[in-house]
Amino acid sequence: MIGKIVQTLGPWGPVLFGIGFLAPLIAQSMEALEIAAPFGLSFIQTGLLIGAGLGLAAKLRGRWI
Amino acid sequence: MNIAVTEPVTGAPAGEKSDRELAREELTIARKYIGPFPVVMAVWGLGNLVCWLALWPLVMTGTLSLWIAFPLATLNVALCYLPSHEAQHSNYAKSGEPLRWLNEFIGYVSTIPLVLPFKTARITHMDHHTYTNDPERDPDYGVKAANWWQAILTGIGRRQPGQPNAYGKLLRAKAEAGDETAKRAMMEGLAQTLSFWAILTALAWSGYAIEAALLWWLPRHIGMSYISLFLSWFPHHPMNEQGRYRNTRHFHYWFGNVVSFGMEHHIVHHLHPGIPLNRNAAAYRELRPLLEKRGCRLDGV
Repeated sequence: MIGKIVQTLGPWGPVLFGIGFLAPLIAQSMEALEIAAPFGLSFIQTGLLIGAGLGLAAKLRGRWI
Repeated sequence: MNIAVTEPVTGAPAGEKSDRELAREELTIARKYIGPFPVVMAVWGLGNLVCWLALWPLVMTGTLSLWIAFPLATLNVALCYLPSHEAQHSNYAKSGEPLRWLNEFIGYVSTIPLVLPFKTARITHMDHHTYTNDPERDPDYGVKAANWWQAILTGIGRRQPGQPNAYGKLLRAKAEAGDETAKRAMMEGLAQTLSFWAILTALAWSGYAIEAALLWWLPRHIGMSYISLFLSWFPHHPMNEQGRYRNTRHFHYWFGNVVSFGMEHHIVHHLHPGIPLNRNAAAYRELRPLLEKRGCRLDGV
């Protein structure tokens, strides 16, 4: 059971990391550095877009860098 | 791939000590350094953990600047492995001894900053000792690289998503062969890893993403690179020989033995894992003439 869940979620790890950690990290960093969010978006919306995008790219490419 | 298996010379010339005599002398010296409870390593392990844990409230309450805490946390993560390493070898207390609980406790808690599950570390490390530099069976063989900066880059590459995990592969193979300890190690490893990501996510969405990044996530990556470089690459480079006296080397690091976490004398550890890290240098000095006779790689000496 646990193994199945891990096998299903595992490949989506980078996307989950992008949403779960990178998104708020980007949002809070923008706020701390006083960087304005583009296109009238909020900080967290920007973070979610960039974080999920980076995570998806990492999943597809098989590497973050 | 060119791997040489070099065993000690057994047929010593007349007038020279026999293999058995050399082994006996080596063991006599080693035994002097094995035994007393390694207080230094225990204090190091628990003190380092307390220091890292203390950074969190200090930073979150604004008592300590995050920019001071970040290098401290990085140091804590890099330092946290070696006390657990002693526990992997049961150097605090063997099974059945009164302080066995302390051995296991230090093993489990000291590597929390590194998120390295103790059972996984112990199982894979024992295989590393048994099969040092074996391309197929040494779980640390992936660190092999031509020079130190390539070793760092290789290590970062191995941590990318979808890359084969040597430790996971080894545990799975053992578990499939019916090894119950390996099965438990996999479950504990999974629980610890999921907990780490859950805590990071919770901190990040509670408004502490930068703190989580600079006290744990980034220090962990830097620490893993540092540990892999100094504990695996430096002592075993170029990783093309096997055999008791040739699979590990003595080396001189430009910035000293302390910066290399005492790994200059790692050869002593591979020959006698029961000698705690803080006694390796003294043991090395006494063992050196024997190691020279054995044809050990005493580089830079």
